[in-house]
Amino acid sequence: MDLDLIKKLVKIVNSSGVTDLEIEESGFRVKIAKKIRSSQVITQPQTPIASAQPVVQTTALTAEETAKQKAEIEPTAANLHEIRSPIVGTFYRAPAPDADSYAQVGAVVSPGTVLCIVEAMKLMNEIESDVNGKIVKILVENGKPVEYNQPLFLIELA
Amino acid sequence: MFNKILIANRGEIALRILRTCKELEINTVAVYSEADRDSLHVTFADEAVCIGPPFGKDSYLKIPAIISAAQVTGADAIHPGYGFLAENASFSEICKESKLKFIGPSPDMIRAMGDKAFAKDTMKKNEVPVIPGSDGVIENLNQAKELAKEIGYPVIIKASAGGGGKGMRIVWEESEFQKAFQTARTEAEAAFANGDVYLEKYIENPRHIEIQVMGDQHGNIYHYGERDCSIQRRHQKLIEESPSPAVDEDLRTRMGEAAIRGAQSVNYEGAGTIEFLLDKHQNFYFMEMNTRIQVEHPVTELVYDVDLVRQQILVAAGEKIEAKPKKPHGHAIEFRINAEDPENNFRPSPGKISSLHFPGGYGVRIDSHIYQSYSIPPYYDSLIAKLIVWGKNREHAIMRGKRALSEFIVEGIKTTIPFHLQVLEDGRFKSGNFDTSFLEKF
Repeated sequence: MDLDLIKKLVKIVNSSGVTDLEIEESGFRVKIAKKIRSSQVITQPQTPIASAQPVVQTTALTAEETAKQKAEIEPTAANLHEIRSPIVGTFYRAPAPDADSYAQVGAVVSPGTVLCIVEAMKLMNEIESDVNGKIVKILVENGKPVEYNQPLFLIELA
Repeated sequence: MFNKILIANRGEIALRILRTCKELEINTVAVYSEADRDSLHVTFADEAVCIGPPFGKDSYLKIPAIISAAQVTGADAIHPGYGFLAENASFSEICKESKLKFIGPSPDMIRAMGDKAFAKDTMKKNEVPVIPGSDGVIENLNQAKELAKEIGYPVIIKASAGGGGKGMRIVWEESEFQKAFQTARTEAEAAFANGDVYLEKYIENPRHIEIQVMGDQHGNIYHYGERDCSIQRRHQKLIEESPSPAVDEDLRTRMGEAAIRGAQSVNYEGAGTIEFLLDKHQNFYFMEMNTRIQVEHPVTELVYDVDLVRQQILVAAGEKIEAKPKKPHGHAIEFRINAEDPENNFRPSPGKISSLHFPGGYGVRIDSHIYQSYSIPPYYDSLIAKLIVWGKNREHAIMRGKRALSEFIVEGIKTTIPFHLQVLEDGRFKSGNFDTSFLEKF
């Protein structure tokens, strides 16, 4: 993978009106997309900020919007509790492939609330919350392996 | 051939296994406890999975965690190393049920050789000399006393399910027999949940000579000569060598053939070691069979030019043993370097290695997982390195050993390096005339 080439391509997309660029060449493919979102607040100057990343699409935000989002999403670290896996296995959000997930972001939980399953050696182990609070982040993708003590959920303590 | 091997062990042997896997271009999975996060083999493995907190029972001995780690990483085989689950028949069984190839013998082979009384019986049936003693478990006291008289004192009462010196009593004369019998049984019951004991002639000051065997799935069983492991402290080996100064070609042939007969009796698969006691009259007696790769395997590797871990993997994958044994070439000595203080009764000395310099040069091999600034965790055994030297003959190997040990710098912790240097100066060691009582008199 030629990093220099990618840097050059990002620069080109950034400084031009091109919004989508995809290149494929001898076993190597890169896709760069740029989303421009204009500011919602009228008093802000009308300069949309475009950012581009190879392969992953990014959303462009104004500085103010970013700050606002951050304040909503990230509670202070002090009242955050990690739920960790007590065993090695595979992480599942729901009891069965077609069933509803045990818990979503924003769900209110209490000690004993089942959050997920970690499957090990064909046994489904239900992982419960040990605190009162609200789920603010799910740290593992459904179906991915987890190791001993790996953080699974971030819970904002009530 | 396997695509991915999970190494169910830690420390130097995990690194040893990993090295051979790399040479066979097999992907490696390291499993580790939280205390081994910064371990060398974890860093070098292709994948690593944390399986539990520091204590062995919660991590390296935790079968579900290890099997689960193999499943989530898609490993197709597990190498158990030595210690931990290496000779656990249940683990071998569970691997089989989980469609993971256990690199070692089958559950039945492990069970057969793990039952000391049964193993002895099997050997006897296959014309492998055994220590005179009871035919299996002693049923009653009076029978035992009669047998002891027949064998001739001193005798030793041993736990059938035992090891590590527990449930053992040496009896020097008939008047002590009853008490010894009762206390051995009680101790065995407490340590192994099995009070069965058997009786043997006690061989005073024997040499500990073991034969390395290897069997494949095609019925081939070979031996790679002997190792002399008589330098022991409290039944823990400290220095091992091959060939043994006490074994000539004729004895080697006889012991080797006996070892092969023993292994053949259970259609043995994998690496194994048959331990014998050699008395002063050159009589050898079967003691036990270890159904795993052993710590001291490198001395055999250097003298017989064989990668034993490689053979283990090939054999487990269904291939024939690649390396046919030849005559021993030269002499190898292994020094187990432990993080212990030899001046304070070998007290364990965990801690951070502030400065490290490994010896090198021709004929010097180091099997070790330590590195500068590594902190030795206090939860596991104290073996931090194996220094193995090869020389044209025993004298040369001793000289090289001395040279290599004096270049070996480990600071920040205490090690047994100074102790080994002292042993190399000892007249009896240099002469090759020693037995398992050597260290008591040292």
